[in-house]
Amino acid sequence: MSLLHTAQNIEASALGQTIRESTWLFPAIESTHLLALAMLGGAVLILSLSVLGIGLKTAPAELYKSAHRYMNVALIVLLMTGILLAVSEPVKLYGRQAFCVKMISLVIALAVTYLAFNPLIKRGLSGLGVRSVTVLTMAAWLMVALAGRWIGFS
Amino acid sequence: MLEGLVNKLAQTPWSIGLHESLYMYAITESTHVICIMLFVGTIAMVDLRLLGISYTNVPVSQMLSRMLPWTIVGFVLLLITGAMLFLAIPIRTYHSLWFRLKCLMILIAAVNIAVFTFKVERDKATWDLGRVPRNSKICAVISLSAWASVIVFGRLIAYNWFDCDSINSPAMAGITGCPLDP
Repeated sequence: MSLLHTAQNIEASALGQTIRESTWLFPAIESTHLLALAMLGGAVLILSLSVLGIGLKTAPAELYKSAHRYMNVALIVLLMTGILLAVSEPVKLYGRQAFCVKMISLVIALAVTYLAFNPLIKRGLSGLGVRSVTVLTMAAWLMVALAGRWIGFS
Repeated sequence: MLEGLVNKLAQTPWSIGLHESLYMYAITESTHVICIMLFVGTIAMVDLRLLGISYTNVPVSQMLSRMLPWTIVGFVLLLITGAMLFLAIPIRTYHSLWFRLKCLMILIAAVNIAVFTFKVERDKATWDLGRVPRNSKICAVISLSAWASVIVFGRLIAYNWFDCDSINSPAMAGITGCPLDP
């Protein structure tokens, strides 16, 4: 079964149809997606700015104790609402370059965040390596958000 | 008077140019959305501190002095891109129910900031790392709710449910400033 075929099947699903045919569901899910985006931005930024020495003077490892919870909650909400949005129009997304770019940058951003950024900060490490990972993390999430917005324009 | 100004604005080459541009409108709107992360993101983290539920090991004074400059950067970028988005579609946005609600929420958030700055935070030296006072928590809740509403109402401007051509009650005509056809 081809990817396009799968997309067509998802589009025809009851969940996809319900979201697509409702006036309020898509905008409501979209708005929740945006609210969680703000929270993710806040959690990533409060840590990143501190690592780079241009934010709070409190040690990033201390900030991490609070920030990682908001990061996790925001990402869970983003993934759930994102899946719902995609389920409502998978055939449209199938052909969109911006969606493809977003998914690739999402995988990179998740990997950099959970395999490098978070563990390094949790252990209280610092130095050029940690700062580079921080910049990469910020850039990756920026790319995800930009490509996400671009889906609507392409 | 305001409506006349908006109508004039719509005829300017700047407005037409932005509206018809291939990439400029999309770039402006994307920048506007990205800056939400910077602006509302930093505000949310400060508010969570002011609620006393997170970052309690960071002094309130440091939270305000080291985070708010970034909030201001976000605000300036949002204001510039927001003004450009209004300029691109002035008449429809001016009559938009959601745009009007968004402006109302920004006003409420602004009054809340003024109350916090001139009354609530004045004695913050006494609770910098101690128990957060009740009025600070109230300000934080108002701030979080107001900015969340601003995001939601802002997103809804894109939907045409209450555009002038579908307004048919005097009350809605009053709120949106749309003409009511007999």
